[in-house]
Amino acid sequence: MSSSVRYKVMKHLEIVKQLQPSLHYETHAPAPDQIDNEHYRAYTRMSHDVGGEPDVPITWEEKEEEVWEHNTFVTCEVLAWRGVWNAEERRRRQNVDVGQTQYLGLPYYGRWLLTAARILVDKQYITVTELSDKIDEVRKRYE
Amino acid sequence: MAEKHKPAPMVEEVSEFEVLEIAVRELAIEKGLFTAEDHQRWTEYMHTLGPLPAARLVAKAWLDPEFKKLAVEDGVKASLEVGIDWVNSMPTQFGTPSDYCNLRVLEDTPKLKHVVVCTLCSCYPRPILGQSPEWYRTPNYRRRLVRWPRQVLAEFGLQLPDDVEVRVEDSNQKSRFIVLPVRPEGTEGWSEDQLAEIVTRDCLIGVAMPKPGQTANDPRPVRPAVNPYHH
Amino acid sequence: MSKPHYDREHHVKKATGIGDPQCFKGEAGPPKFKVGDKVRVRDLPDIFYSRTQVYTRGAEATVAELVYESPAPEDEAWDNTEKVVWFYSLIFKQKDLWPDYPDAFANDTLETELPERWLEPL
Repeated sequence: MSSSVRYKVMKHLEIVKQLQPSLHYETHAPAPDQIDNEHYRAYTRMSHDVGGEPDVPITWEEKEEEVWEHNTFVTCEVLAWRGVWNAEERRRRQNVDVGQTQYLGLPYYGRWLLTAARILVDKQYITVTELSDKIDEVRKRYE
Repeated sequence: MAEKHKPAPMVEEVSEFEVLEIAVRELAIEKGLFTAEDHQRWTEYMHTLGPLPAARLVAKAWLDPEFKKLAVEDGVKASLEVGIDWVNSMPTQFGTPSDYCNLRVLEDTPKLKHVVVCTLCSCYPRPILGQSPEWYRTPNYRRRLVRWPRQVLAEFGLQLPDDVEVRVEDSNQKSRFIVLPVRPEGTEGWSEDQLAEIVTRDCLIGVAMPKPGQTANDPRPVRPAVNPYHH
Repeated sequence: MSKPHYDREHHVKKATGIGDPQCFKGEAGPPKFKVGDKVRVRDLPDIFYSRTQVYTRGAEATVAELVYESPAPEDEAWDNTEKVVWFYSLIFKQKDLWPDYPDAFANDTLETELPERWLEPL
């Protein structure tokens, strides 16, 4: 345990346990000299890499599945079946690219869903205006 | 979760998630990326999934030492004997995209106890075990199990002697894992069906151990869905 | 305007009837490590994506199994499957990972899988 890497790893976990998503009202982009290498690592961390972060016991719960959650999972698998993405692309986008605030703030399948929408736009299978119009149209069905 | 979040207000309003789910699915179909039938076929495939095949695999391994050897050496091949083809059971014919095709069966002994987590997401062997439980997906379980496994196992009701090696399996790549627990005392002469009944999902993840008389996971609070999907 | 073209067939062509990671078998060349070797996890930059957990960096482990060949997740996460590497199942002693792990449970271990480029010989 004497190596400097192990020391840095433990220090990193100490910093990121303080790095919680919240509705910040004042988070200003700091000047370069305000961010040392440890904080650079903390802020650019991959949000999915949570192993070993301190946390307190919670109640272990089971959960019923929403219809949209089930459909979202199926959509994501079928998109991969038909070659739109592979599972590693999906995991990267929904667990890391989303950033820490969305990662810890949204439901598990909420991230899957936003990511499925995003891949269609990023790979230019749909435009954002098409997506926006479709969301608007679906909403109106329920009014 | 329950402590940190206020419950969502009970309103008759369609949620943004529901709207977006429909929008994405319909757009993908309109653009020809997949068909409505593809979606339906995968939904039907999901209906067939659950923990039963994995429980049966364990029961078979308890009864047949040769099969146990096969299960530990080649989990994918052993799965065929409980009706699960990791490559061809699903509509793709190349496995499920998210679960890949490399099942590893982790054999417990009286001195070694395995427990599975995926710290990076929530990798889970769906083809042989069904959908993962909510607690398995929480950042809390994923944060703590790798570092404080005995505390977490104790919260699940499992207290292990000091001389038992606890081995945490952090399922982080393309392999998927089930635990093959030690066959409990009091099951001498039991049939495969009887044995399979006591191998619960929690036993297969590793947070519980099978015992005669217990055929269900320990009871836990259930968070209800607004529009529940009925499997 | 320009619109990219994506090959949506390459994986289905390669993996149908075979499975993934089986479809990459034989592409990684000779493995650098064997079962029983002691290795250390490198602290490589994990810019943008990796599946090598921070808590493993710099720690010692023993190779338990050569599990399969596959592209590194860092590459496959952008759908690049050109370079296939060996994946190793590694066993760590919990006391090597966590300074505060109790002495009473010195036998406890953790197993996880990492691609070859993350490992250096001890």
